[in-house]
Amino acid sequence: MTLPRQILLLYRKDLRVEVRKKESLIAMAFFGVLIMVILNLAAGLDRRLQAEPAAGVLWVAILFSSVLGLGRVFAREKENNCVAALLVSPLSPGALFAAKALVNFTLMSFSELVLVPVFFALFGAGLQPGLPVLLLLLALVNIGFSAAGTLLSALAAGTRRNEVMLPILLYPLCLPLVALAVKATGAAFGGRPMTEIRDLIESMAAFGLIYAAAGYLLFSHAVREA
Amino acid sequence: MPMVEPFLRVERLCKAYGGLTALKDVGLTLEAGGFLCLFGPNGAGKSTLLKVLATLLPPTAGSVRVAGFDLEEHPEAFRAQLGLVSHQSFLYDDLSARENLEFYAALYGVPDPSVRAGELLERVDLTHRAHSPVREFSRGMQQRLSIARALVNDPSLLLLDEPYTGLDAHAAIRLSRQLRLLHEAQRTIVMATHNLERGLDLATSVGILARGKLVFLQRRDQIDPEAFEQLYFRHLEAA
Ligand SMILES: Nc1ncnc2c1ncn2[C@@H]1O[C@H](COP(=O)(O)OP(=O)(O)O)[C@@H](O)[C@H]1O
Ligand SMILES: [Mg+2]
Repeated sequence: MTLPRQILLLYRKDLRVEVRKKESLIAMAFFGVLIMVILNLAAGLDRRLQAEPAAGVLWVAILFSSVLGLGRVFAREKENNCVAALLVSPLSPGALFAAKALVNFTLMSFSELVLVPVFFALFGAGLQPGLPVLLLLLALVNIGFSAAGTLLSALAAGTRRNEVMLPILLYPLCLPLVALAVKATGAAFGGRPMTEIRDLIESMAAFGLIYAAAGYLLFSHAVREA
Repeated sequence: MPMVEPFLRVERLCKAYGGLTALKDVGLTLEAGGFLCLFGPNGAGKSTLLKVLATLLPPTAGSVRVAGFDLEEHPEAFRAQLGLVSHQSFLYDDLSARENLEFYAALYGVPDPSVRAGELLERVDLTHRAHSPVREFSRGMQQRLSIARALVNDPSLLLLDEPYTGLDAHAAIRLSRQLRLLHEAQRTIVMATHNLERGLDLATSVGILARGKLVFLQRRDQIDPEAFEQLYFRHLEAA
């Protein structure tokens, strides 16, 4: 079977389970909204946030809720050790990585479909939501975060305290990407010109590419027992 | 006359988990169409040996050749022909029996996964539960389905790790019958089991693993089944 067909087969299998259970998506959206409501209360209900702190709120909500879904995607593969069956099949480990990263990307994107409107409802006053820029930033973070998250959840799934290990490894690794995202989003919310944001976006794309390439290359070592 | 390369050749195989040596200098050969039964107490290294044969674990030392291919050099050449039944079911709890089989059949590039799934469900007598999620299956039903799963690609080498666990008497008899059919169809089979009687009944070769060593290996037709239990315990005590 060709690589794209392998990826599609795995991707459809995972989405079918997710559509049936909806557990990851509901948990992610719920937790993300909860974070924003708490931060909104903490900030004072009718106070306006400035562009940069508001960008911080958005990314905290998105990234802290995503890790719930990222962990599940691989945990499910480990439940009856199905991953071993995949590893003894002719499937290429790269296809497994790509499929899982795509599932994670999809989950993050759907959860953002809920989180972003809620964010603007709570904190949107005074912000300039340049929608195309925001979509681009979301896409770049989703790529980097789901690629790094896929690699690390495969690593963490082999350890005893995997649900603790994943966030502990993932957030520091993604810190550069997240810092860039907060800066770029803050600038976009503040109505700054595109020329100011372009550098940040290029760096974010580079990080996304690095995480994806590293994940693709290292994944077979991460999933195999030694 | 040139020597015919046996289908499976294991040479000086060692496997260590950190400091613990799970397999020590295991060597064996099995001809194509042979049925090797591995006996041994818990912790003897049976599962480890099967995992190495399945390319799930890399050997620490030694080599495994299957159909002339070195496993470490050409794992992919051989994976398409392999079937594995392990302690774990390898099934997705949230998918139905049929969906599980169709997924794995597609993974192996079987031309018509849905037809293949139907055949296999029939074979393990689960057609009436084809659409129930595996989560709702009893242990024995899951075991039957996981055996069907291992057959999706019609493997030429079938590895079974204690496949009788969790089966009732009726299902165990059915499994033996299926294994015999596979053997008659010239599939090569390696099975680890505690069940001396069923193992002896099916095998063409018999091995005993104790503390990571293959302490006994003989053709089945040279073994007296009456005396085997005694012989088994004698070898365990000597190890
Ligand atoms: N993943 C592992 N890590 C460390 N030790 C292991 C691992 N798997 C098995 N062992 C050890 O290797 C030995 C052989 O185990 P195993 O192959 O499972 O035996 P069997 O299947 O015959 O019961 C045992 O002592 C077991 O504790
Ligand atoms: Mg075992």
